[in-house]
Amino acid sequence: MSAQHGATWPLGRFRTSGYLGRRRRTGILLVLPALLVMLAVLAYPIVSSIVLSLQHVEPGGGKFSGRWVGLDNYINIGSDPAFGTALSNSIYFTAIEVVAVVGLGLAMAMLLNHPLGRSAFFRVILLIPWALAPVANAVIWKWIYNANYGILNFVLHQLGVVNQYVVWLGERQLALNSLLVADIWKSIPFIALLLLAGLQNVPPILYRAARLDGASAWQAFRFVTLPHMRTTILICVVLQSIWALKVFDLIYVLTKGGPADGTVLLNFLSYRQTFDFGDFGYGAALADILFLMMFVLALIYLRTFRPTPGARQAGT
Amino acid sequence: MDPREQETVIRMSRRNFLKRSAGVGTGIMVVGGLPAFLAACGTSATSVPSGGGAAASAAATAAGGGGGAAVALNVLAPAAPDPAPPGVAKFSDAAVAAFAKWQTDNNAKVAYEAPPWPQLHDKMQTAFASGNPPWDVVYMSGWVPEFAGNLVSMGDMIPADLKADLPPSSFSTTTWGGKTYGVVFTLSLLTLFYNTEHFATAGITQPPKTWDDLKTYVKELTKPGQYGWVLNYGAPEGIGGTASYWMVYLQQAGGKMYGSDSMPVFNDTPGVDALQLMLDLNKAGTDPGSISYVGINDATNVFTAGKASMMMNWPFTWMPAQDPTTSKIVGKIGDALLPAGPNGTASIDGTDAWTITTASKSPDLAMKLIEFYLDKDVQKSQAIDTGWLPIRLSVLNDPEVQAKATNAKTVLEQSQHPYDSFVTPDYNQVTQALGTEIQKALKGEKTAAQAIKDASDQVTAIVKKRG
Repeated sequence: MSAQHGATWPLGRFRTSGYLGRRRRTGILLVLPALLVMLAVLAYPIVSSIVLSLQHVEPGGGKFSGRWVGLDNYINIGSDPAFGTALSNSIYFTAIEVVAVVGLGLAMAMLLNHPLGRSAFFRVILLIPWALAPVANAVIWKWIYNANYGILNFVLHQLGVVNQYVVWLGERQLALNSLLVADIWKSIPFIALLLLAGLQNVPPILYRAARLDGASAWQAFRFVTLPHMRTTILICVVLQSIWALKVFDLIYVLTKGGPADGTVLLNFLSYRQTFDFGDFGYGAALADILFLMMFVLALIYLRTFRPTPGARQAGT
Repeated sequence: MDPREQETVIRMSRRNFLKRSAGVGTGIMVVGGLPAFLAACGTSATSVPSGGGAAASAAATAAGGGGGAAVALNVLAPAAPDPAPPGVAKFSDAAVAAFAKWQTDNNAKVAYEAPPWPQLHDKMQTAFASGNPPWDVVYMSGWVPEFAGNLVSMGDMIPADLKADLPPSSFSTTTWGGKTYGVVFTLSLLTLFYNTEHFATAGITQPPKTWDDLKTYVKELTKPGQYGWVLNYGAPEGIGGTASYWMVYLQQAGGKMYGSDSMPVFNDTPGVDALQLMLDLNKAGTDPGSISYVGINDATNVFTAGKASMMMNWPFTWMPAQDPTTSKIVGKIGDALLPAGPNGTASIDGTDAWTITTASKSPDLAMKLIEFYLDKDVQKSQAIDTGWLPIRLSVLNDPEVQAKATNAKTVLEQSQHPYDSFVTPDYNQVTQALGTEIQKALKGEKTAAQAIKDASDQVTAIVKKRG
């Protein structure tokens, strides 16, 4: 019985005559152009990248000719010290960025949700870092961090925090953390607005009830706000993880991956192999690994968004 | 009519309309729209580079006189202040007029795509990989071996009188596999720049002539708020990257990158001595920010602000350093040959050259355009108006040029000594590996000997992989 169903569905449903069958066929025809466009602009590059990663590509000679090498590019990744550095840098960068952005974003959202912070002015101010073009943002931070003229050194020196100017981009870990600060600064606004939307969905009556029960501000946050914000926070975590893995502009403008590969992340490494070294196959393999990481995160995102069975039934 | 029946008819009509619309839409998409869309995504042989986006595009207007439509010549060039041609950089009115006249006389219309220099290599990499680059003439800087398969061999196309007026050594970086693929258009060698005021204050009367002088001077000139030496060590790869600076010292120490079998031979005493000099200079008084400067402009800014006493730099630095709007050391700049190591002085060159792509439909006209760029008057304007020295020996010796670009004489003298940039098809990969190891030594993570040995192992693997 089930096997029979398996053989006839979904083709059988498509062939069904009558109103429902026609409706389905019309629906499919209507979405077909969009599907074709999606296939052309999304699926084709992904498949092409995977095919490329299985080849050794020689772009010279006016041709883009590849030689099949199977999984060699993926195997070589394992013995590439730059990949190990880039992977650990990427994990560190993503983990710290997600915690910092979501944490600070939540704090910012709570301030904006406070009666004193509900002015549109604050939201506009908050959005400025997000609205900046990525390269412009990177150039601004390049000047802020400049070892000789940077305002950061000037301010810290004036305040007596540092005795002599610090080369913010001169040490591996310090440079990576400096990039983190710059990217966190840019990322907080959007996440804060997402979280603010979530906060505004928490029924105010719950806070009143908590106060009547004698809950402190912390207890109200812990037992009322956080449980209601769970889904929103999870979405922010997943989105920010994907964005953190994709960071490129800051590295390109501020450090070029240096010093001594200290700020190379997977995205930058893939770019370097592909466009600096002309090793398109290896670069594609690195990009595909990054794609896989993001794909897993996207699956988590979709799963988070998936309606519960009850909600699905209610919707129908 | 029964209202229910009427409703059914209306609903059926709507559905039919939608079905037909969807069918027509899909048909258009598949038969006409999609191929057109995909074609638009790809590169078109007849496309004219717009130079939009970040690129500082300059479409030179041409009269297009004579019979028929003007022939389009698409040129990929760097944006100013890097070495850019008439139509992109600010040349004299006479040179601009000459450019317009050249286009009229040759029934040509030159369209430029001029992105910032750091974007050039990657732009070429992508376009050449597509097999259909949109340019006729392309600027190159040390990438001739890498892209030789995409370039026209032009050794026989260069007029004899022009060839005779060019330094023979200028062809070394544009020649690969015995064929010449480009013409260098500016003599751009690293030389020493120093702050004469700092020297006078420290009681130093002449520029350093040897490595020992250099180390001593750097130490003496370093004091609070002032460093004896500055360079950009932040980006390891490419000409003007960390590895290329080490190559200068390598030649001064009597070493070279590759042996006759094309395998690396720099893991020797000169190689280690060259890196040791960089470490010694660091200790003596190099601006600590140098390791974080990813471009020459970052280091030049420190020098022109009067915060560093010496640096090696390209000739074009001379003009902006004398401009009071951008420099605090106007009238206080001296230039000299790079200090000599055990094997004398040596340098590297910027290898700025014009090449013709194999995709060009008008290679002869493209060659004529290159000849125009190398015309004596244009070369003179290039030196006087843009600060980039000419490559033609006759123009370099022109009194007017030497009066305006007073560093020309030093650069010309520096060119009498070795200046090999050791470019290969995998130059970026080699310099990335080498420069990263040098950075590790500069940061004290490795000794000079260990860093050079590790770099040699990596470069050997890269060269073997190339085959």
